[in-house]
Amino acid sequence: MSIRRVPRIVAYVCLAVAGVLVLLPFYWMVMSSLKTNNDVFTIPVQWITTDPVWNNYADIWTESDMTTWLGNTVFLSALVTFLQLLTGSFAAYGFSKITFPGRDVLFLAYIGTLAVPWASYMVPQFVLMTKFELTDTIWSIVALQAFGALGVFMMKQFYESIPDELLDAARIDGMSEFGIYRRIMLPLSVPALASLALITLVNTWNDYLGPLLYLRSPDLWTIQLGLKSFIDQYNAEYALIMTGSVLSILPVVVIFLFGQRYFVEGVATTGLKG
Amino acid sequence: MKRSLAAVTALMLALTGCSSGGDADESGPISLSLAGWSLATTPEFQKLADGFKAAHPDIAVELKEYDAKNYDTQMIADLAAGKAPDIYVQKNLKNFYTYQDGKQLLDVSDVAAKLGSEVGGLSGYQVDGKTWAIPYRADSWVLYYNKALFDKAGVKHPDGSWTWAEYAATAKELTTKLKAAGDKALGTYQHNWQSTVQGPALAQTAGASLDSGNFAFLKPYYETALDLQTAGAQVGLGDVTTNSLTYQAQFGKQSAGMMIMGSWYIATLLSQQEKGDADTFEWGIAPMPQLTKDTTGTSAVPVTFGDPTGLGVNPKISERKIQAAKDFLAYAAGPDAAKALAGIGSTPADTAAAADTIFALKGVPTDELSKFTFTKHDTKPENPVSKHTAPLQNILNDLHTAVLSGSKPIDAAITEAQDRAKNEVLK
Amino acid sequence: MTTTVAETRRRRGRVVARNTALGWAFLLPNFAGFTLLTLVPVGLLFYYAFTEWNVFGGATWTGLENFQQLVRDNSFWTALGNTVYYAAFHIPLTLAVSLGLALLLNRKLRGVAFFRTVAFFPYITSIVAIAQIWNMLLSPGFGPVNEVLRFIGVANPPGWTTSADWSMPAVIVVSTWRDMGYYMLLFLAGLQTIPKQLHEAAMVDGAGAWDRFRAVTLPGLRPTTFFVTVLLTINSFKVFDIILVMTDGGPGQSTLVLSQYIFQKGFEENQFGYASAVSIVLFALCFVVTIIQFMVNRRATR
Repeated sequence: MSIRRVPRIVAYVCLAVAGVLVLLPFYWMVMSSLKTNNDVFTIPVQWITTDPVWNNYADIWTESDMTTWLGNTVFLSALVTFLQLLTGSFAAYGFSKITFPGRDVLFLAYIGTLAVPWASYMVPQFVLMTKFELTDTIWSIVALQAFGALGVFMMKQFYESIPDELLDAARIDGMSEFGIYRRIMLPLSVPALASLALITLVNTWNDYLGPLLYLRSPDLWTIQLGLKSFIDQYNAEYALIMTGSVLSILPVVVIFLFGQRYFVEGVATTGLKG
Repeated sequence: MKRSLAAVTALMLALTGCSSGGDADESGPISLSLAGWSLATTPEFQKLADGFKAAHPDIAVELKEYDAKNYDTQMIADLAAGKAPDIYVQKNLKNFYTYQDGKQLLDVSDVAAKLGSEVGGLSGYQVDGKTWAIPYRADSWVLYYNKALFDKAGVKHPDGSWTWAEYAATAKELTTKLKAAGDKALGTYQHNWQSTVQGPALAQTAGASLDSGNFAFLKPYYETALDLQTAGAQVGLGDVTTNSLTYQAQFGKQSAGMMIMGSWYIATLLSQQEKGDADTFEWGIAPMPQLTKDTTGTSAVPVTFGDPTGLGVNPKISERKIQAAKDFLAYAAGPDAAKALAGIGSTPADTAAAADTIFALKGVPTDELSKFTFTKHDTKPENPVSKHTAPLQNILNDLHTAVLSGSKPIDAAITEAQDRAKNEVLK
Repeated sequence: MTTTVAETRRRRGRVVARNTALGWAFLLPNFAGFTLLTLVPVGLLFYYAFTEWNVFGGATWTGLENFQQLVRDNSFWTALGNTVYYAAFHIPLTLAVSLGLALLLNRKLRGVAFFRTVAFFPYITSIVAIAQIWNMLLSPGFGPVNEVLRFIGVANPPGWTTSADWSMPAVIVVSTWRDMGYYMLLFLAGLQTIPKQLHEAAMVDGAGAWDRFRAVTLPGLRPTTFFVTVLLTINSFKVFDIILVMTDGGPGQSTLVLSQYIFQKGFEENQFGYASAVSIVLFALCFVVTIIQFMVNRRATR
């Protein structure tokens, strides 16, 4: 696919302008992390910090449990993402490639729960989790996030675009359904798995309300929860919060840079009908 | 199958509201659990626990940490699941009704009966002739002022004789004279909370009540607030919200000559001045401006507002711990705890017992008016306890943002709020 | 030939039984966790909606009372209207922007990895920072946006988040800006399923870019578009956090949405039964729209 030169330059200019606009809040976060608390919110805005306070970046490691929070967040995000990919893609295969009675109704129930705001069933769910003695353990968040309907829905839609003929051919060759899932569907759905992984990872990484309700012991806190502990009843350590937020974004950015290379045209359909 | 059985059982339990949890420690030394928030930066809970332990060495007090902003959400969930601590804080009066009406508080009238009359804020926790929580902190709202900025502008310091008209006039005068002196600071700062306007209005207007559904009493207060905004003596609500201004920075960094705020800010300002987050300057506190001349002057008692912070006992507490918990409540409201709390700059429920301690702290203004302001006040609850308080306050918050952003004229906004109150709440 | 009919039927019955068992086997790992932790509490909601419930104790059955009150509740109608207003603009806008971004970034441009990451940035940036920056950019008096508007000759630029008329458009623009990277990611994944050969074949036939988009890209993206549309619809109707940090429902009630109203009624005013009833309405609204999309999608695929 060749693009002539002029549109390409226009595209670059557009991207650059959009890029600046998109990165502005991040820039502000970085600047704020170099200020003292009472200088963060001012009229007019100080876009450039003349007298940067670098020690916020040292203080956050020594004065708070950032290391613990980071460890918990990494562990949770990795486990939840893994389970969500596994159970989601597995269930999606059942929903999209096997026909059985009641399937569509069940699927609608899945989507239906997405349409209910969490605040409205948060307390009953919390009571249930308490009965299972999961509250105030890291497993509560795993249980809460790993079986979400989102992954099932997303993988199902992706599988729909993989032609049934391919599966029928494999079935005639005597491959079991599980074999088809593992040997054909999984390798073909790498881009979808990659985007589901990125989305689940970011959602778990940045989740605040779930950990707020379920993780009470300070040694279980995630980054988002820990950063909020810089806000007490009347005051907030805004500069430290921004420092922590900047630090917490960096790993996600690295993972994203790494993960986005799976979005390469044609991966999914290599060897399919041409 | 076992799993689904467990689910069904849990479902039934959830439906009937029973709790399977119980106290395991039916023997051995007594240990009380106490809720608190942001423990790393809020020493008051540890102070109370330590002080109580000194007097009762055989009873242990264990702190359980909550989030400062989402305290009530977490507490409601914990109480519903039956895993809340033995003693928990009533963070404000607005949500007290939720716990009291939901039968999540033990009757502590016997503790209240033994307390002296100097404990402020007790009446806020009384429903149907019984007391359901005991106040340990009773903040009330005062007028902070920056002595340095007043002197720079050559404006006379507050003297406790102000009504709102004098307050507004001084704010404007201060703004103009500061500008002339080359200082960009404005005369006053009222934060974007509804309390800054509606709190004094409800407390100071005779006969005003939320439950009446008649909100005409707000009008003169909003006229003053709007007047200050248009005159440029106070940052407009739009700029406060769009720039997320914090009151700590507005007063602490000397961007405003005066500020109406609760007495908790004393402790904040002290620690921020010490850490360098706030500038170091001379400041003082004066009584809230009054509605009429009758309550002004140091021979009268100025009327202000504020919600107490109290402690309540979880009714699921085991029988043998009840007395210990009540002792803890009595201690927290008493003079010893008052001194301990004053030592960290908090305003205890018993302000008279704490005055000496607080004015001995480094950096606290020791002029007569500041002392008068701290000890003499008629503090009315900001959220009088009623079933309707929370929804009515939500309606009045909409009125607040609509009026101060200039989206609606005050009369129309009051009419709308009254209609909504009648329609949605007081039916 | 009657035996064969019976045999076919029997065989078909066996196939159905086998498929049912297989299907459930695939669903089970996810379904077990999902049912226990989500479906059950959500199901309870349908009971609580017909009760008066203070969350702590048992609920008192009140029949349709909550729903009758809803009909009379002006704030509910305001919240509903605002939610629909938001969704009506946010859904098509975000769909168009994120699809456009995905198409733009699905090429072998130099530095595409960087630009993809940048586009995803708003979604991972702290929402507090986002609210802060946008509120500042849109600040009525000093904000750069209004400076530009004044420069190009708009005498009275809008007050954006401080004005009852402009707060909702401001929120819609900001949330579209925030969400575009998220949905772009989904579209990017979907675009990879379209065989390259189809594009090449269309090019050989002399089809222009627009024709190829309509004849190849759009049909190939249908499952993804369906997924994105449903998800976007649900998320738009449930919008909460961006509103909370940007306007907190104000000024007045101009940006009050249903999710926020549910939280207010439940956690602030302790009327969990009533809040459940509002949730049911929100659920029904999402669900009806989703089912319509489901039907349309199914007809299109057949």
